[in-house]
Amino acid sequence: MSEPLIITSITIAYLAIVLLVGLRARHNQSSSLEGYVAGGRHMGLLVLFFILGAEVFSAFAFLGAPGWAYSRGAPALYIIAYLTLSVVVWWLIAPYISRLGRLHGYLTQAEFLSACYPTRNNFLGLFIGIISVLAIIPYMTIQIAGAGLLFEAATSGTIPFWLGSLLACAVVTAYVYASGLQGIGWTNLLQGIMMVAVAWFLGLATADQLFGGVGEMFRELQREAPEYLTMPGASGMGWGAFSTAILVSALGCVMWPHIFMKFYSAKSERTLKRVFVLYPLYSYLLVPLLIIGFAGVLLIDTPLDSADRVLLTIVVEIADFPAWLVGLALSGTLAAAMSTAANLAHTSATILVRDVGQHLPSLRGMSDQKSLKLTRYGVVLLSFLAYLLALANPASLVALLLGAYGIVVQLLPMLVGALFWRRASKTGAFAGLAVGAFITLLLEFGINAPFGWHAGFCGLLVNSIVFIAASMSTASTSQHSPAQALSETR
Amino acid sequence: MNYHPRLPARWMLIYFSICALAMVWPGALVANRIEPFVLGLPFFVFWYVAWVFALFVGLAIAYQGEKKEETYDE
Repeated sequence: MSEPLIITSITIAYLAIVLLVGLRARHNQSSSLEGYVAGGRHMGLLVLFFILGAEVFSAFAFLGAPGWAYSRGAPALYIIAYLTLSVVVWWLIAPYISRLGRLHGYLTQAEFLSACYPTRNNFLGLFIGIISVLAIIPYMTIQIAGAGLLFEAATSGTIPFWLGSLLACAVVTAYVYASGLQGIGWTNLLQGIMMVAVAWFLGLATADQLFGGVGEMFRELQREAPEYLTMPGASGMGWGAFSTAILVSALGCVMWPHIFMKFYSAKSERTLKRVFVLYPLYSYLLVPLLIIGFAGVLLIDTPLDSADRVLLTIVVEIADFPAWLVGLALSGTLAAAMSTAANLAHTSATILVRDVGQHLPSLRGMSDQKSLKLTRYGVVLLSFLAYLLALANPASLVALLLGAYGIVVQLLPMLVGALFWRRASKTGAFAGLAVGAFITLLLEFGINAPFGWHAGFCGLLVNSIVFIAASMSTASTSQHSPAQALSETR
Repeated sequence: MNYHPRLPARWMLIYFSICALAMVWPGALVANRIEPFVLGLPFFVFWYVAWVFALFVGLAIAYQGEKKEETYDE
């Protein structure tokens, strides 16, 4: 068998196993919307840990993170820093989301926020729903395109881009359609273990084979290109840009709907907290991947057109790994892309039906069974849309992601206020959101942010100030924060 | 049901703030050096690996503490 053929066979076998595990999981779920979306709020420690881990660590962990280390050096550590710090925010707010969700039957982020800040015709819910879907679709497209790219590069073109991304997309769609969160849970367990094993193996084996060890690799880098090992790195990322990127990403991570909505699925608040205690250890997955990126600085003579290809270049072309090993490596990296894509398809379909669909006159007050059916169709529809976008690869995709997600992050102050602040007012929350979103978009696409700070960070700062000032200036009669008031109504 | 969201213990908030400050400006400034190598990693890389572990330990202690207080039901 030729090398590309061995690599392809191993990877296809892996996809078949994932599909099988995902489809089998459908026996565990009840046939209600709550079962499909939130696993009946019964997810346990092990599965929830891997759901969160594998969905947070996407194709970016295997392509973008080594790419950062390869092209910039030390600033790549921002990825480890923010992914770990984000757990602090989860710790503070997730138990309340989980509890109030159970109490009132919430399944989406928009439902929670619009209950805290009621609006006429639930305009806030509709707004959050639309913006969330607009943020998720490009994110999902990037995962599917990443899968296609991986397939094509690892099999030397035997599986072309369109077919590789189609295979990954079809497998994900099939098990999410059939098994909902149960399917995601058991496949993410498998894919999460695969990712960790492959990342550590590749990182250590690359350093060992080509340099005689990780320490030796870094010593050589210290002699050849020491600027990669400290701030500001090779491309000169300032402390302001670095620090604000860490803070805004750590704070904003919780606002990703696919992460937020997982809080509803936990069996208990104690389970959630156990998951969070263990979660920082999962982010060690990035260490070997950054090692590969750093190794790329020494190994690759002519600079790569796209830094994101550094891991593929080293694994496929430079390191002398046998074909079966490349096949396993490809499977592990695909696992990162697919496990995230599955959650995104599942989440965006839920939002589309629950938050946006409910506003259509024909769908108002639909039955649980009908919304379950529509959500499953939504999974197929949105996955297919993301696949088409991956093929078309429009230049505006990243701008859409940055813009829409930038606005979603601006919901954080009103969420924290709703939970912990007695004086949080609706006027203040909306004024903060509007100003924060405007500042973020202006600095992202218009003028340059001051001191090279992250646009979203500046937005959050102004947002919080406006929110606090406007809330303080309105007379408050309530003894409770908006979320406390919710728990009082029962 | 009478249930109020409240912030965790003060020591936890301080501890988490220290972890965050250590990973950004100005905390990370003190670690911006290559020597000494620890565990085969340049110091600045090791710094982040170490703070991830510190965060894990802090969370584990906080979890144990809250379990004793029984602040949330099962």
